[in-house]
Amino acid sequence: MIHFISKRLKHSLVLLFMASLVCFTLVVSAPGNVAVLIAELRGAVATPGYVEQVAEEIGLHKPLLMRYVDWLGDAVRGDFGISYRTGTNVSADLANRMFVTGTLIAGSAVIATLISLALGFLGAFWPYKLPDRVSRGLALLGASTPTFFVGALMIYAFSVTFQLLPSFGFNGPKSWILPWLTVAVLPAAVLSRVVRVGLEEAMTSPFVLTAKSKGLGRTAILFREALPNITPLFINALGTQVGLMTATAIIVEPLFAWQGLGDYFLAGVRFRDFMVVQACLLIFLTFFIVVNLIVDLAVLLTDPRIRRQWS
Amino acid sequence: MNMLNPIFARLNKMPRAALITIGLFVALGTFAPWLAPQDPSTQSLLDAGLGPSAAHWLGTDHLGRDTFSRLIIAANTSLVSVGSVLGVAMTIGILLGTIAGYHRGWVDDLLMRVVDVGLSIPSLIISLAVIGIVGPGYWTMVLALALAWWPMSGRISRAVAVSIMSKPHIEALRVLGASPWRIYFGHLLPGTIGAVMVYATADAGTAALAVATLSFLGLGIQPPTPEWGQMLVDALPYLESDPRQVLLPGLALTAAVIGFNTLGESIALNRIPKPLTRRMLAIRRAEVASWGKENSDA
Repeated sequence: MIHFISKRLKHSLVLLFMASLVCFTLVVSAPGNVAVLIAELRGAVATPGYVEQVAEEIGLHKPLLMRYVDWLGDAVRGDFGISYRTGTNVSADLANRMFVTGTLIAGSAVIATLISLALGFLGAFWPYKLPDRVSRGLALLGASTPTFFVGALMIYAFSVTFQLLPSFGFNGPKSWILPWLTVAVLPAAVLSRVVRVGLEEAMTSPFVLTAKSKGLGRTAILFREALPNITPLFINALGTQVGLMTATAIIVEPLFAWQGLGDYFLAGVRFRDFMVVQACLLIFLTFFIVVNLIVDLAVLLTDPRIRRQWS
Repeated sequence: MNMLNPIFARLNKMPRAALITIGLFVALGTFAPWLAPQDPSTQSLLDAGLGPSAAHWLGTDHLGRDTFSRLIIAANTSLVSVGSVLGVAMTIGILLGTIAGYHRGWVDDLLMRVVDVGLSIPSLIISLAVIGIVGPGYWTMVLALALAWWPMSGRISRAVAVSIMSKPHIEALRVLGASPWRIYFGHLLPGTIGAVMVYATADAGTAALAVATLSFLGLGIQPPTPEWGQMLVDALPYLESDPRQVLLPGLALTAAVIGFNTLGESIALNRIPKPLTRRMLAIRRAEVASWGKENSDA
């Protein structure tokens, strides 16, 4: 078990290193002279002499390897340089933005889990009957509707027509509900199919036959035998979906006027603010790697078969 | 024509509704310039925000442009950009995939590791990062989306290429002294293209979604060219007074994506052996039981 964890940690570190390399290369290879940009930001006329001075100051003349080491050292300490657009520190309100996006993803993950389990069980309990068909139809609809359209529909239904919930802002749980639901639709649809298919497969296994011959009822078998069996599968799929939620956050945050990471990333892309793009990208990639690590550990905890394999 | 045969054979098993939706989308997209009753970008502020009428079948938007015509032209925009994205992505994917499948060894390992990383990052984040560095524009969008999309076709074509390379006729060719070029271009590449094309059609829905999403964010198709995602974001400020302009493009896009997703699902299902039905299970059981009988007879 410890062997597995240490191996997995090493693997994550390698991935982190590769992610940092990608982020660094992306900005280094960007067209245009960074020194000119910064010189102009400081309000000075970008005379060749001044540009040269700036380039010297931010270390553009150093070899690439040295620049990478410097950059990585700063990034690890939470310093992502200054924004080319505003001239302020990129890391200034990064913590706040991470909290906003974290709230979005955490809430949506919980909602998606609940909805998908409910839909999946509905389908597995009455396979190929009406509830199953309804849950399948909802899953297809949820997986095919563009997230921005879901958001617009949510605002139209709950804010405009019924006037129940605020359509924008990040103030209090009431304003969190709509963005949570919007982000949760797609993962809920995908995960409900995972639950449904997983349960069906589990229900054909020999251990279910044993349970049946013991005289257990269908509900008992589904919850006591099949559910623990699909937990590792579900956790795996949930991890993928949580990773994808960062992409959804980029769409949903501007829609609901949330000042999160996704919004920041999008603004960085719009104004070609490389440092912001780089910082957000590094955070996103780190997030994927951490989520994957947690998923693998959680699967290890919930799947005795894998646990035995490694002990 | 030979290459298309597996596609036609599979078409019979597709759900009809999905085929009709896709057919409609492709037909509208192809013939849009002749089908649209009015110029999609003619503004007439006097007619802004009208409801459906004989002159404007689905009403007009906040600038008085005919919504019906814009929806149809948008299908064309969408079809063309999805086609170019998948075209570029599949070219990269098939080339790298077949090279990996042909060469194997460290080339294979390296390429497939890159594919793994590419597949684990959401396509929107990859394409936005590319657009952020290069700057927005139509061809940047196509390039950015293709960069996010090629790992998918790369993985599939590598799998197909590996299976083709292990077939006896390739070995026979080798024995006959065929050059690597002949094996690659004459046998490996054509076989792979045929198989990957089928999967690409299933991917078209997500690609259309990605184009619309980028346009929604203002980084894809630029106005005045109509595109569903961009029409939706254009109409969003008027959601309260004129929700129709938001609903119509959203519904059109959703319908197209549902069509492609259903198609993709049935392609996947036709590939994967289906779970045994109760009747099949009974037949199997009878079969297994009869084995026992034979044994006891013997």
